[in-house]
Amino acid sequence: MIDKLSTKNIITWCPGCPNFMILASVKKVFAKLIDSGLNQKDIAMVTGIGCHAKIFDYLNVSGFYGLHGRVIPTCLGIKLGNPNLKVVGFAGDGDTYAEGMAHFIHAGRYNADMTLVVHDNQSFSLTTGQPTPTTQLGYKSKASPLGNFSCPINPIKLALASGVSFIARTNARDISHTSQILRAAIKHKGFSFVEIIQDCLIFNKDMNAKDKLMYEVKENRDKKTAEKLADEWNYNDKKGKIPIGILYRVEKPTLNENMRKNDEEK
Amino acid sequence: MRLNILIGGKAGQGINKISEIVSDVLVNYGYFIFNYRDYPSLIRGGHNFNVLSVSDKKVGSHESKLDGIIAMDKKTIRLHKAELKKQGFVVDFKKFEKDNLGRNLNITLAGCLIKILGIDKNVLIDRIKKEFDNPEAISAAERGLNSEEEKFGLRKLASKINILSGSQAISLGAINSQMNIFIAYPMTPATGVLHELAGRQKKYKFKVFQPENEITVVNAGLGASFAGSKTMIGTSGGGFDLMTEGLSLQGQTEVPLVVYLASRPGPGTGVPTYTSQGDLDIALRGGHGEFPRIVVAPGDPIEAIEKTNEAFYLSEKFGSLSVILSDKHLAESEFSSDKKPNKIIPVKIDRKIPGQSIVKANSYEHDEFGNTTEDAGLTKKGANRRIKKYEEIKKDVRKFEMIKIHGKKDSENLIIGWGSTKGAILDAIEGLDFKFLQVLYMKPISDEIKKEIKKSKKVILVENNVTGQLGRLIREKSGIKIENRILKYDSRPFRSDELKKEILKIK
Ligand SMILES: Cc1ncc(C[n+]2csc(CCOP(=O)(O)OP(=O)(O)O)c2C)c(N)n1
Ligand code: SF4
Repeated sequence: MIDKLSTKNIITWCPGCPNFMILASVKKVFAKLIDSGLNQKDIAMVTGIGCHAKIFDYLNVSGFYGLHGRVIPTCLGIKLGNPNLKVVGFAGDGDTYAEGMAHFIHAGRYNADMTLVVHDNQSFSLTTGQPTPTTQLGYKSKASPLGNFSCPINPIKLALASGVSFIARTNARDISHTSQILRAAIKHKGFSFVEIIQDCLIFNKDMNAKDKLMYEVKENRDKKTAEKLADEWNYNDKKGKIPIGILYRVEKPTLNENMRKNDEEK
Repeated sequence: MRLNILIGGKAGQGINKISEIVSDVLVNYGYFIFNYRDYPSLIRGGHNFNVLSVSDKKVGSHESKLDGIIAMDKKTIRLHKAELKKQGFVVDFKKFEKDNLGRNLNITLAGCLIKILGIDKNVLIDRIKKEFDNPEAISAAERGLNSEEEKFGLRKLASKINILSGSQAISLGAINSQMNIFIAYPMTPATGVLHELAGRQKKYKFKVFQPENEITVVNAGLGASFAGSKTMIGTSGGGFDLMTEGLSLQGQTEVPLVVYLASRPGPGTGVPTYTSQGDLDIALRGGHGEFPRIVVAPGDPIEAIEKTNEAFYLSEKFGSLSVILSDKHLAESEFSSDKKPNKIIPVKIDRKIPGQSIVKANSYEHDEFGNTTEDAGLTKKGANRRIKKYEEIKKDVRKFEMIKIHGKKDSENLIIGWGSTKGAILDAIEGLDFKFLQVLYMKPISDEIKKEIKKSKKVILVENNVTGQLGRLIREKSGIKIENRILKYDSRPFRSDELKKEILKIK
């Protein structure tokens, strides 16, 4: 099955880039879903622009290689256009939290039935390592030789505040856990957000190798607990603990359900 | 016979109700109407007015001299007295101050106007009953009917006439094309179509969605179309600017997309509730890179129905971008017509869509599977495919009316214009030795234009913008510079009597 999901394209990620592992996790999940009855043709992926987005060329499923920052609106449109499709977006931290931030906040509000996977390497990697909104204060790059002037945001807290109905975090290197969480995310009815902590082997290496800080949590459905879990890591340093797993989950009506309901009521 | 009646008051007082009721009665009586709406960007107070032009023949504009004023406030009389003809009448709201009419004042004023026009009172009473099922409304109408003297003695005519605004017509064109999804963010004067379609979504079973901004509008629009839905998005100039990266994405992905662009005076926020033809350039060129597109510019509601349908048809057939260019004057004025639009062209989705096959749309240059390439040969091939597609579009659009010739067909005096100036131009050249070439397809543009210009002795360009954008386009395509130009850019549309004077000034 995994072979049916591959393309002939030459993979151009740097050797050893954790994006390879994310690709493996995604193939594993898609293969499982297909084995349990999902039609391969019913999957639609969307990617942004960046290293992460190259996954588009390596997966043999329908998809839209969109614009930088616009993964969420493109997913939303596909879901409106054909509610039967399983829509999964792959985006970067620059993509999601810089160029396309407004969409991220509104995605929680709409709760369209789709999944957003953010490959968070705390760097604009494809454009050679400038700071993104999750990059630590003081980070030096060609664009920030004096050190990054701003502190990182915490996307998990932002997702909680925006009403996102499924919030998870995983470690790119942990294929088994990542694929398990991705599967739950895709199966979740509503907008699911999975942040994958991903090292970049070339840029912002200071933030790499956080594996020791990571620990798995059981699926959490309590908001207060979720807020605490979100606060355990600040993205700014390698102190504290980094909880991974389903950090928050709640059932809410989806965008298409609300549209249909309005339709019936009118 | 032609009358111009100004109906004015504060925003929120209900002047539109008066012109709506009177217009309905007039077309039922066999008269043509044109209703111009003038209002500033505020919700309550201020000064709004409509100019209702009435004729026993086709009419598509208003004039500067008034036959009457219906005033819902003092300001209306103060501001417009000077425009009144010598014999002109004024109906002053003050006359009814003691009647305590409340919200029904506008019905009373409609009654006054119907009486002055000399129309059978029962036509009005029937119209009122249709909308308001209460005795106060009827007595308010009677109060108006009984308080004025008949002045014009209009007799019933046989014509069968319908009223439509440009926004309603664009919506009908989309519905005729069996559109599945409309996505838009509010912006005057494009909002009319959002409201119109939102109101019809249940009946015609399509979706209407208002997301967080125009960037989402265009990207979601492309996503929805990719997924197999016929999709239209709508905006005005500023929103169109935000969308342009997405338009360019359309060019690379070749996912069909119809964009409704209703312009208003810019730059910047400009003069939001008034009119301009200043956005032809961005409609033609917005978006980076080189890729084909279609730009149509209807001049009245019937054309808006037809051209919207053609825009959907071409966009699906060629995987192309279709821009329907309108403006405030077309979108929000009310037009009357005794014509029916052309037969509907069926719009079929005949392409690979997800769910049925594995299909990839890619913003990068790509190979036949939709996967990314940076290969020089494939890059050139992609560019050639897009250019070739434009050649095919050029051939195919010839089956549609790309231009129209109005007026005296054998005249050597030629007026060239496009879009919402159509009505004023037609009314201005009535009885003159002129023909009017109306351009409906701005891209591709017809080769006939050059021939018509060459055949003519006197050529005049009429546009509602500062720099004569159609003139520039014609010059680019034909090498001909049109020296005589009548350009209006005070954010107000042409009035036919003033335009006529301007035309006659040119020797
Ligand atoms: C509108 C726009 N601005 C800028 C770019 C250039 N650009 C390409 S990739 C990229 C950064 C990608 O960073 P991220 O989303 O974090 O992905 P990564 O490469 O780290 O996986 C940028 C800024 C672009 N393609 N489009
Ligand atoms: S630059 Fe970083 S993120 Fe991009 S492929 Fe190389 S290692 Fe991976």
